[in-house]
Amino acid sequence: MRLLEYQGKELFEKYGIPIPLSRLVRSASDVSSALKRVGLPAVIKAQVLAGGRGKAGGVVVVSSEGQAEREAGRIMDLRIGGEKTSALLVERASTHTGEMYLSVTLDRSRRSFVLIATSSGGIEVESTKDQVLEPIPVSGLTKAAAESVADRLGLSGSSRDGFVNVAMSLERLVREEECELAEINPLATLPDGSLLALDSKVILDDNALFRHPEFSQLPPEDPLEGEAAKEGFAFVRLDGNIAVVGNGAGLVLSTLDLVADAGGKPACFLDLGGGSQQSRVEAALRLVKKLPSAERILVNIFGGITRTTDVAAGLKNVVNEGPTAPVYARISGAEEEEARKLLADTPVKLYSTAPEAVKAVVGLA
Amino acid sequence: MILPEQGEPIVVQGITGKFGSLHAGLMLQYGTNVAAGVTPGRKGEKVVGVPVYDKVAQAVAETGARCSIVFVPAPYFYSAVEEAILAGIKLVVAITEHVPIRDELKMIDLARAHDVTVVGPNTPGVILPSRKIKMGIMPAPSFKAGRVALFSRSGTLMYEIANQLTLGGLGQTIALGIGGDPVNGTTMIDWFDWVRTRNDIEGVVAVGEIGGDSEERLARYISETKFPKPIFSYVAGRAAPREKRMGHAGAIIYGDLGTADSKISAFRSAGVQVAMTPSEVATLVGRTLNR
Repeated sequence: MRLLEYQGKELFEKYGIPIPLSRLVRSASDVSSALKRVGLPAVIKAQVLAGGRGKAGGVVVVSSEGQAEREAGRIMDLRIGGEKTSALLVERASTHTGEMYLSVTLDRSRRSFVLIATSSGGIEVESTKDQVLEPIPVSGLTKAAAESVADRLGLSGSSRDGFVNVAMSLERLVREEECELAEINPLATLPDGSLLALDSKVILDDNALFRHPEFSQLPPEDPLEGEAAKEGFAFVRLDGNIAVVGNGAGLVLSTLDLVADAGGKPACFLDLGGGSQQSRVEAALRLVKKLPSAERILVNIFGGITRTTDVAAGLKNVVNEGPTAPVYARISGAEEEEARKLLADTPVKLYSTAPEAVKAVVGLA
Repeated sequence: MILPEQGEPIVVQGITGKFGSLHAGLMLQYGTNVAAGVTPGRKGEKVVGVPVYDKVAQAVAETGARCSIVFVPAPYFYSAVEEAILAGIKLVVAITEHVPIRDELKMIDLARAHDVTVVGPNTPGVILPSRKIKMGIMPAPSFKAGRVALFSRSGTLMYEIANQLTLGGLGQTIALGIGGDPVNGTTMIDWFDWVRTRNDIEGVVAVGEIGGDSEERLARYISETKFPKPIFSYVAGRAAPREKRMGHAGAIIYGDLGTADSKISAFRSAGVQVAMTPSEVATLVGRTLNR
């Protein structure tokens, strides 16, 4: 789960990482009261997960109350990567002399967490060559290791001490809150040598949320995704018109590719999971019916542990209980013939291979 | 790398659960020697005719097993694996889904210290048809003994591709799920290393997907070590959006890292034959191996 900037900064504060004085507001009309606390000049920032927030005009520096109200209204109406902001972070603007980059993240190939830092922050940090990288043992980052990173960055005096503290705190946050990533970009250096986290990017390990019930209070990014998660489905909304449903993440992923290769556009990715019962198939189709963009439904089942007859019975029940978008199904595996018979008097169109079903659903057959 | 011989005793951790008991039965049906089950507090019971113990150590003492398959739910997963490793188990097949990353990293450290092979987590397991070994949840009819090795990050794609290989007369020495999580107990490279000196394997299929850079690293390994057998691949997720987790915890593109195109071009430049659809894999393998 990805946190919004302000949620990440709340965690930073909890772990003693310095952040600018700020107030969160939910409407443009609350901005002036926030400014009374924060002062001018201030930065107003859209709270969205989409990237490219700055380029889309979602971050602006304001120097008067009138300007702040106008800009806040404008940002509340913006769509950034298709996303509307539900809140604004009003932050005291800082005058800083330098920007660094700091993150603690899972390095999948090393199979360990790593600390990554550069002495020059900024948006294009991914391409920076002078990164300092420090693998972190399961037991955590040692002070000596954090100091060695600071030395390799060429830091000295109070910046060095500040950096060691921030790095140790960020790593402890990642370890204790069980994050996949916590990133400070930029980590600003102030004229007095102290440091300030100007932005946050925090991704929690979804599989560890059972140990962190406080995060489960956060609303899902997409209500339908939340509903699917409750059913135990992996569901991702996409921008096309063909709902893609199947059993197994890899199989559904490859079905998206087949649809795209045939010129179609998937409306969603829905993985039923392995060993699916009839009731799960029914729940999945009922969920897809709530997706207005799904003009056609493609079901791709490779029956193994999942019984093809259970899938067929589930499909049959849902199409019989009321109108659905046309269903194109490929059901393969043991008892396939029985499954076909079950669906014989329904509008479900059956195919024996995935490419055939895809051709039909895209409209090429 | 440790894999069971034919008839070798296997322990099932979490055998009294719905999933554990179902698959213990299916493994027995396949001819695998499921010799003991473990569920704390259930000693003395029998599940599908298999005796249940409280502790892995008891099961090991009774059967001499060195291989265990784990169905224990994620919150209890790490302690179950730790118990197995400390009881002397040398191969852990971890079917469990949704294991926290921290627990996986701790497990990898412990396994390394005790020289234990871990398959998974979040894997369908491993099947060795000629040894009648099925330590996993894969549908048995899709797999037949033969001379192809199949390694996959995805379960259902492994079944689908194995099924078509089997229909095409291309049986498998081994089919093994690497696991769908961002980190895995053993990697594709570990298994390729195991394959390279085996003369009962003529070709290798690697089924990848978006997320991470394990395919790119495998491609580098293949070129740098001049891997001596023909390799075939399929990579799922060319049409996947960025920054979205596609079912598997590990199937996510961050920025430019983990795209299918990057993996496919890495494989191609390493001389791997890349199929564009799952069904094309068997065609490519057949064309090369049946020549």
